[in-house]
Amino acid sequence: MGEQFPVVGLDSDAREAVELLASRRLPGLIVVDPNGSPYAVLPASQVVRFLVPSYVQDDPSLARVIDESLADQVADKLAGVTVRKLMPSEPAELPVVNHDDTVLEVAAIMARLRCPLVAVTKDRQIIGAITASRLLELVVTPH
Amino acid sequence: MTVIAVIVFVVAYVLIATEWTHKLLAALGGAAVLLALGVTDSEHAFYSHETGVDWDVIFLLLGMMVIVGILRRTGVFEYIAIWAAKRAKGSPLRVMLLLTMITAFASAWLDNVTTVLLIAPVTLLVCDRLGINPVPFLIAEVMASNIGGAATLIGDPPNIIIASRSGLTFNDFLIHMAPLVLIVLVVFCLVVPWLFRGSFEVDPDKVDNVMRLNEKEAIEDRMLLIKCGLVLLGVFAGFVGRSIFHVEPSVVALLGAGVLVLISGVATKDYMSSVEWQTLLFFAGLFIMVGALVKTGVIGELAQQVQQLTEGKALFAVMLILGVSAVLSGIVDNIPYVATMSPVVLELTKGIPDPTQAEALWWALAIGADFGGNATAVGASANVVVIGLALRAGHPISFWEFTRKGVVMTAITIVVAAPYLWLRYFVLA
Repeated sequence: MGEQFPVVGLDSDAREAVELLASRRLPGLIVVDPNGSPYAVLPASQVVRFLVPSYVQDDPSLARVIDESLADQVADKLAGVTVRKLMPSEPAELPVVNHDDTVLEVAAIMARLRCPLVAVTKDRQIIGAITASRLLELVVTPH
Repeated sequence: MTVIAVIVFVVAYVLIATEWTHKLLAALGGAAVLLALGVTDSEHAFYSHETGVDWDVIFLLLGMMVIVGILRRTGVFEYIAIWAAKRAKGSPLRVMLLLTMITAFASAWLDNVTTVLLIAPVTLLVCDRLGINPVPFLIAEVMASNIGGAATLIGDPPNIIIASRSGLTFNDFLIHMAPLVLIVLVVFCLVVPWLFRGSFEVDPDKVDNVMRLNEKEAIEDRMLLIKCGLVLLGVFAGFVGRSIFHVEPSVVALLGAGVLVLISGVATKDYMSSVEWQTLLFFAGLFIMVGALVKTGVIGELAQQVQQLTEGKALFAVMLILGVSAVLSGIVDNIPYVATMSPVVLELTKGIPDPTQAEALWWALAIGADFGGNATAVGASANVVVIGLALRAGHPISFWEFTRKGVVMTAITIVVAAPYLWLRYFVLA
């Protein structure tokens, strides 16, 4: 059930990674360490969290007082930043499944980690990924 | 029993001060041990004003937390802060002075942690727009908060404890503490440009970024703002008119909270999320531990020792309490400090025949504890909160960065407070 999925390295350029997310409307990216092993899944929501200033997250009413032209500058935060910087400060459990896991096993991981994307591995190497929408497609499509 | 009470208290205090365990665990754990070993019992711990949980304090805090939880949803604080920053026309020094004065004023009516939680995001926004380092601004604001909070009974939790233990009213705090706070704030404004020198350079091109902020957008629900304003007026009228209405501040706060919950239409989970249950339970644990010291006679003995040390000289006792409180409140959180010292000061006041001078002991404790909270990064809960917010925003404030400024500000404020106490309660009394 896994599909081909783009991966990015921890030290990849953050702007390029975000452009990849945006252009292909991906729910997240699989991040690999320098050895090519899966390191983490970077959900798109985490990228949004990085881009939105912490003071706006603490006090959402401040988002209203900033005009659109100032809001346009939020993407400037990506300049000269690597994917590593986009990752949450607290390392999260890696959402990864084996290539022979069942749909229910994948769903259980996705639900428990509240992650829209899980990496599929075989012999510790990434062979693809399963998105939440792909999983739902499998669930609702009659066999 | 006395030895056990002292050992448990000291161990819990060390754990709270060093943060080796969560302070709630230390306070409740200490209380549980004292109850389990029979040093105190449910009668003394839960039903005695002298030796148990001070429910007036707990419910006053609870009521104000609910009110503030709804008030902060109005956006009025953000409106005022951004309006002020625009009136400062982007001048960093003027921005700092205006935001600190707003913080000090708000802290007199709201608790300090809430005030800094409201002002810090706006400050980070304004500094971000100006392209300047927000750290000096955040440090100055938390200092102003600790100073401003001293002005009223509800401004700082130590004041609430002192009021409950001493019987001093909301008006007493306004009459005795607010004038000093005003004097200290004038001095604060004079000291700030020197203390934070080098922090006020700004690129003139960035000033326009602040002027383009639209503060009117901060207020989304004008009706909620009006409702909150009316309820707050009623609550403060209840505090001020205690001698007329004969209603305790805790009851006034709870009634205000109840009315606001009913008329605001804010969802239960929204206002209840503002209630800091950990803080309330921490207070309960502290009261039980301190109550055990009172019950076993430790506090009485300690008060006698202090009386012998001061030889009944009221002025010496006042200055001793002021100085010791300022130093110790910088080292340990001022809430457990005041919870412990209040019964000691109560005993000391009994040995001073002049009621004005006896009352000055309470003011010395309040001033020392409130202003002393500025001394170090861990001196007051608001300091810790601001440091956490700064870290999240990518502007870490080190312990020493805060403490270097804090010690200076504490020394200055105590130096201003000492002659105030001397003149008002000994020379001019």
